[in-house]
Amino acid sequence: MSSKQRIEVRVNGTRYVREVEARLTLADFLRHELSLGGTHVGCEHGICGACTVLINDQSARSCLTLAVQADDCDITTVENLRNPETGALHPIQQSFVDAHGLQCGFCTPGFMMTTLELLRENPDPSDEQIKEALGGNLCRCTGYQSIMDSVRLAAQRMKSSTLG
Amino acid sequence: MAIEIHTLPEHMPNDALRYVGKPVNRVEDPALVSGTVQFIDNLSLPGMLHCAILRSPHPHARIVSVDVSAALAAEGVVAVISGEDVKRWCVPGFTAPEGWGNYCMAVDKVRFVGEPVAAVAATSRYLAEDALELLHIEYETLTPVCNPEQAMAPDAPVVFEERGTNVMLHRDYTWGEVDRVFAEADHIISRRFRWNRVGANPTETFGCICQWDLADNSLTCHGAYQTPRFMAIGRAASLQLPANRVRIVTHPQGGGFGGKGGPRGTDIAALLSRKSNGRPVKYIEDRMEYLLAGGGQSWDRYYDAALAVKADGTVTGFRVHLVDDQGAGAEGYGTISAAKPLAAFTGNYRIEAASYDLTLVATNRAPTYPYRGYGPPPHNLVLESLMDCTARELGMDPAELRRQNFIRPEQFPYTVPSGNEYDSGNYEAVLDRVLEIADYPALRARQAAARAEGRLVGIGVVGTVEPGVFDWNAYATVGVPGVGVPEGVKVGLDVFGNVSVAVGFSLQGQGQFTVAAQVVADYLGVDMAQVKISTASSDVALPHFGQGGSRLGVAVTGAILGACEKLNAMFCKVVAHVMQAPEESIVLRNGRLYRVDAPEHGMSLAEIAGLMLSRSDLLPPGVEPCPEATYVWTSPNRNAPDDQGRCRSYLTAANATHVALVEIDRDTGRTHILDYCIVDDCGTRLNPANVEGQLQGGVAQGVGAALYEEYVYNDECQPLVSTFVDYLMPTIHEVPMTRKDHIVTPSPVSPLGAKGCGEGAMHTTPATILCAINDALAPLGKEMLETPASPHRLWKLLHEDQATSA
Repeated sequence: MSSKQRIEVRVNGTRYVREVEARLTLADFLRHELSLGGTHVGCEHGICGACTVLINDQSARSCLTLAVQADDCDITTVENLRNPETGALHPIQQSFVDAHGLQCGFCTPGFMMTTLELLRENPDPSDEQIKEALGGNLCRCTGYQSIMDSVRLAAQRMKSSTLG
Repeated sequence: MAIEIHTLPEHMPNDALRYVGKPVNRVEDPALVSGTVQFIDNLSLPGMLHCAILRSPHPHARIVSVDVSAALAAEGVVAVISGEDVKRWCVPGFTAPEGWGNYCMAVDKVRFVGEPVAAVAATSRYLAEDALELLHIEYETLTPVCNPEQAMAPDAPVVFEERGTNVMLHRDYTWGEVDRVFAEADHIISRRFRWNRVGANPTETFGCICQWDLADNSLTCHGAYQTPRFMAIGRAASLQLPANRVRIVTHPQGGGFGGKGGPRGTDIAALLSRKSNGRPVKYIEDRMEYLLAGGGQSWDRYYDAALAVKADGTVTGFRVHLVDDQGAGAEGYGTISAAKPLAAFTGNYRIEAASYDLTLVATNRAPTYPYRGYGPPPHNLVLESLMDCTARELGMDPAELRRQNFIRPEQFPYTVPSGNEYDSGNYEAVLDRVLEIADYPALRARQAAARAEGRLVGIGVVGTVEPGVFDWNAYATVGVPGVGVPEGVKVGLDVFGNVSVAVGFSLQGQGQFTVAAQVVADYLGVDMAQVKISTASSDVALPHFGQGGSRLGVAVTGAILGACEKLNAMFCKVVAHVMQAPEESIVLRNGRLYRVDAPEHGMSLAEIAGLMLSRSDLLPPGVEPCPEATYVWTSPNRNAPDDQGRCRSYLTAANATHVALVEIDRDTGRTHILDYCIVDDCGTRLNPANVEGQLQGGVAQGVGAALYEEYVYNDECQPLVSTFVDYLMPTIHEVPMTRKDHIVTPSPVSPLGAKGCGEGAMHTTPATILCAINDALAPLGKEMLETPASPHRLWKLLHEDQATSA
């Protein structure tokens, strides 16, 4: 099982060239080969959404994606949300903090990456559209209400920052 | 020195509290949203190996042979263990009641599907899993016992041969004159209920890294541990190590809800480390392992229960007969969940007499473990459903029937027949408020209009008491000894006046680090940003328990107040000495110690700490150069149980009433929650945002238990649930966005008047939804008395007549 394949990926803007086994999942690649531990693994069968990352700006389950499938792709993970210079939280992150949109925080990176995709495509989503977007992410702690609040708050803040 | 723990926030030495009682942002969150928190699978140690576990495909089988040779020769494999190693090195885990424990891995026979049979340590998880396929296990299958009825049949196969029976425990409690109140009742309302197995399913499964130090014969376990010291003692016992040779380093956890498991995985990884010449071994449970056999399945129950009711609606007696399928042994302390209902057996009501006939049975299902609520959710579902049945039979409004039977505000402290004392409450005020925010008359009007159209719309109005701040004595019923659960902290200052707090637990989601920081900052009058909370490993932490039993927010508050009181007394002594003033003339107020008679003469905390750490020549005799204090809090005034299990157990009694409006879709059997309102009273709300999060999260889990979640086993005791495609977790589409309000009746006995509030919504929601469903079904003369009231079950119930007539 050890035949390896060369891949080249750009993760959060950094280019990586690695030899990987064909069976290595993208989640394991990001977490254990690149030490990007913010992408969490909750079910490894594509239901919980904790491992959601963006591949070429589209949300994807990194547990159901093989690293070799990400060859020549741009990948964005939760580690890319903070401002690398100032360390300031992204408005989505800050909104989750301010609206108490997390408890244990394990599912949160997946929710935030899904939210990032949603708000890029639809800066002013209705509640129904938020629910539709987040319907594939499981949270066992919050009961989702504060997550709804967080996403609404993030939308509001990102809109006003774009306008301002 | 007697330390007084303040029971109201305004008792703290601070004129303007900045944090306690406010929904301040959590100190946990910046790292969590950044993805930098060290959950256990984010940690790697040098030389680390990875464990994979082979699990039994049979519910009940004798192990004839185990051949590990091919696996041992496989690429990357360093060690393999099986029952033989375990038998040599371990003993079965201790249990309550005693003697129903398993080894961490099957020895001689397997007792449930998913029981570990062998395990591999290899240089990667992928290689370890490859090697599992090379393990050859020969089984001789045995007849399984799939449920309590089979388990208690004459000549049933026994799960634990040495016990000779599958009945773990039978107790029959009588509290008050039960026979008389039932004989004198005008109505006896009785029903049978079935609560199917549900489970915790935190988003992060269990994981650990264990390293056996072969020279020191000691063990270090990093992992997602909910109760570190308890875990350390358990590991020492099962691995036959002195308890001070087991060090538990607990990491932040991706949720717990009681059902994190861990003992078996830890022991297996520890033994693999021992067999790998002391290399660290990581074990990360996967979701299929968790769903099959992880430590989170709970409450597999058969109830037969009755209320004794007078003609005017006064409920006088409650009889409960419970058969509880514990699965294959008591290793997970699922047994306690049958004992906990004693703490609030008769709910919010003045029911004068009760009885509890309790049978715990072993079967070949997976062993049961704790899950948020730990027993009362099914118990309350039974009690509250019977209240609704009573209201229907008497033609009363269910809310008014409840009001009539409530314990009244002037009756607190109130001792329930099963022995616990409720500290305080105002149930009628909670009911009034929730009926107001729900606009109950309007809901009934909406229901009437919907019924007129032939729609199945129902309303549930359910109140429960949440026993908060557990004590071991509550669990004496199943053989747990002891009174008093410790929670210890150390509070210290540095020369700059920064505050460090060391606790014995780690993050799990409830926000206790934030609560700790709020309390210490307000007591000492410092900015929350100056406070750092850290987790001490179990070898150096003070006695502690950690999360569990709706206690930690209250307990850590008590511990911090105690430590701050000690610091206060010590600082007064130092300042008095330096200022050559009488000790009684010095006070701490608003972050400064000063002379009452000359407030301009004082010292800041930084000055005092600096002096203590760097000018021992100025310290009064007997004061150490250490501006630190420890305090181990435990609930005051607890006592040993009597022969009927009665004692003052849980310290606080929060309460809540929920109102749900639901509609059942006749065509699909699916229940839609149209509106959901909550009013609760958990005393002082230390961080209202945390409380609200606990409530809403409990609602979500309650919705799951009431409508969707179920560990299904087939007739051969094979689990049919192994993925989230089978085990239906509620998503954002199923969980109602609730409307909430609260009232505040501070506890007169707890730190700052706060009551445990982590489980209340889980205690209340399943009952509320089932009551609403049965209200919806009432015009059809049908009842749903089984959970989950899944679309499948409800559809069958709605269409059973057509099926028989066709």
